[in-house]
Amino acid sequence: MNNVDLPLTVFIVDDETPARHRIKELLSDCGAQISLELIGEASNGREALEQLSVQHADVVLVDIRMPEMDGIELAQHLNKLDKPPVIIFTTAYDNYAIQAFEQHAIDYLLKPIRLGRLFEALTRARAAVPVKSEVLQELTPEPRKNLSIQERGKILLIPIERVLYLRAELKYITVRTVEREYLVEEPLGALEKEFAARFVRIHRNCLVAKEEIESFEKMGEDGADSHWSVKLRGLDERLPISRRQQFIVKEFKKF
Amino acid sequence: MPKAQSINENLLPDALPNFRNLGAILRIVLLVNGIALLAAIAQAVSVQDIVQRFVDSSAFLQPVLLSSLLLLYGLNDALARLAYWKGVTAVILLVVVITLAIAYLGGDLYASAAEDTSFHAWRNALLSGALTVLLLIYFKLRAMSLSTALQDARLQALQARIRPHFLFNTINAVLSIVRADPKRAETALEDMADLFRMAMADSQKMVLLRREIELSRQYLSLEKLRLGDRLQEKWQIDDALDDALVPPLMLQPLLENAVYHGIEPLSEGGLIEVRLQRIGSELHMDVRNPCRKHLGLHNGNKMALENIRERLDLQFDVEAKYTVESGDDHYHVHIQLPYVKEEQYE
Repeated sequence: MNNVDLPLTVFIVDDETPARHRIKELLSDCGAQISLELIGEASNGREALEQLSVQHADVVLVDIRMPEMDGIELAQHLNKLDKPPVIIFTTAYDNYAIQAFEQHAIDYLLKPIRLGRLFEALTRARAAVPVKSEVLQELTPEPRKNLSIQERGKILLIPIERVLYLRAELKYITVRTVEREYLVEEPLGALEKEFAARFVRIHRNCLVAKEEIESFEKMGEDGADSHWSVKLRGLDERLPISRRQQFIVKEFKKF
Repeated sequence: MPKAQSINENLLPDALPNFRNLGAILRIVLLVNGIALLAAIAQAVSVQDIVQRFVDSSAFLQPVLLSSLLLLYGLNDALARLAYWKGVTAVILLVVVITLAIAYLGGDLYASAAEDTSFHAWRNALLSGALTVLLLIYFKLRAMSLSTALQDARLQALQARIRPHFLFNTINAVLSIVRADPKRAETALEDMADLFRMAMADSQKMVLLRREIELSRQYLSLEKLRLGDRLQEKWQIDDALDDALVPPLMLQPLLENAVYHGIEPLSEGGLIEVRLQRIGSELHMDVRNPCRKHLGLHNGNKMALENIRERLDLQFDVEAKYTVESGDDHYHVHIQLPYVKEEQYE
């Protein structure tokens, strides 16, 4: 990947100050044998994403359990960068994730981190391939809290609770919030599975937020041609419900 | 079984019930009357007869019951100081003597014409003695479940300490200051040792509240090592609480819960408020922390809180209360228990 002569640039993400401090000490201990440059640190996923979308790092050391945005979600968003960094997870304990790491041969460091292990991981990092997004999704039972979109070289985060509907069109998915539309490149089926708690499928190409449904309206003349559509809070648009999904109208009336 | 006397023998399974505890008194009154009612039902020939028989037996039963309770209330401390088997014998003798005394004093009032006064007296003495034995067995079983609950509490506290999340993160935090601030690292390790010691301790004694407070502060200072300014604490402690005794591991698990569920998930952190005050003969403990509602309780912690509730119930019965108030942005645990002083047992 990189020229071997250039120092390896490293970024640290951990919500605990002493934990970051410890890694910095260990990095400076490694410095004698491997050329390193610490280019920044952040105390949660959101901050890290902001900094890393303007500044490239070769390796990001990411804690898993953090407030705001956890390490696994951060990794999923970082993958959207033009030059995604190599991610090395650090954790004191996280049974679920560790099993997955082992299964997919993803590099991780257990806290307290040993100098030797960190050194090994950094040495291997230049040759490492970024972990695939589908694999990252498997690392956690939790859905992401945000969708991320790359726009003009920056990563935009759209909190999932602001998304009203997701509609597949040709190659992209339209993500609609009250304010505007965004385009993401993820399969609709995968989104439906991940965010099953928030969205319901009303059409082959469309998922709407259950909580935002304002009303159902009958479209067209009574008779064979009539069908239902959904009106969402804050949008004038009516989204058609396909014939196969008509049953959800009845299901919702139960609530 | 020879055993050193402890200041609070009452906590051990080999102990008489606390005859001054409202819950114990209520249980005795209800159980005795319940049995009397069953006896009346067993002998009755009609529904009216049940009432008649119960009223008849009450005329003798209630004076015996009330004077026994009164006497036991007065002698409670003296009885508690006796070895268990001596105490049991003393209680049974007391009740038998009271029964005989009332039977003879009442004389013709109680014994029907067909019945010999002395037979009536001795029969009732036998019955009340037997009933006392049954009640003491019942209280002993209850006390035994308290000791199980206490062992569970220690086990859970120990498990919380060994919980990888706490253990490894704390070791990691200590490692991070070993080079820069060795003194602070030393204190942190000492605090950690104290926390483990408390959880592994075998003692069933009540502990001084100030010791529990000290332990809780040591715990918070360890967490502060990791969380820094994110963890803020505010203590409000009545001066009048210096000699108060509390069951071990009451306060500290509440704080652990507050840190894990309240502070850690918030990047800006928050304030844990602890208030300990004495109101009359009650001790009130309040722990309040910010909390995001959608974050459900972690299983281990739920067990710890459940265990505190169970121990309060077994030890203080109706005299202790445990309430949780869970708002949109805060979590508040309130514990009320009888105020017990150190000298009271000496």
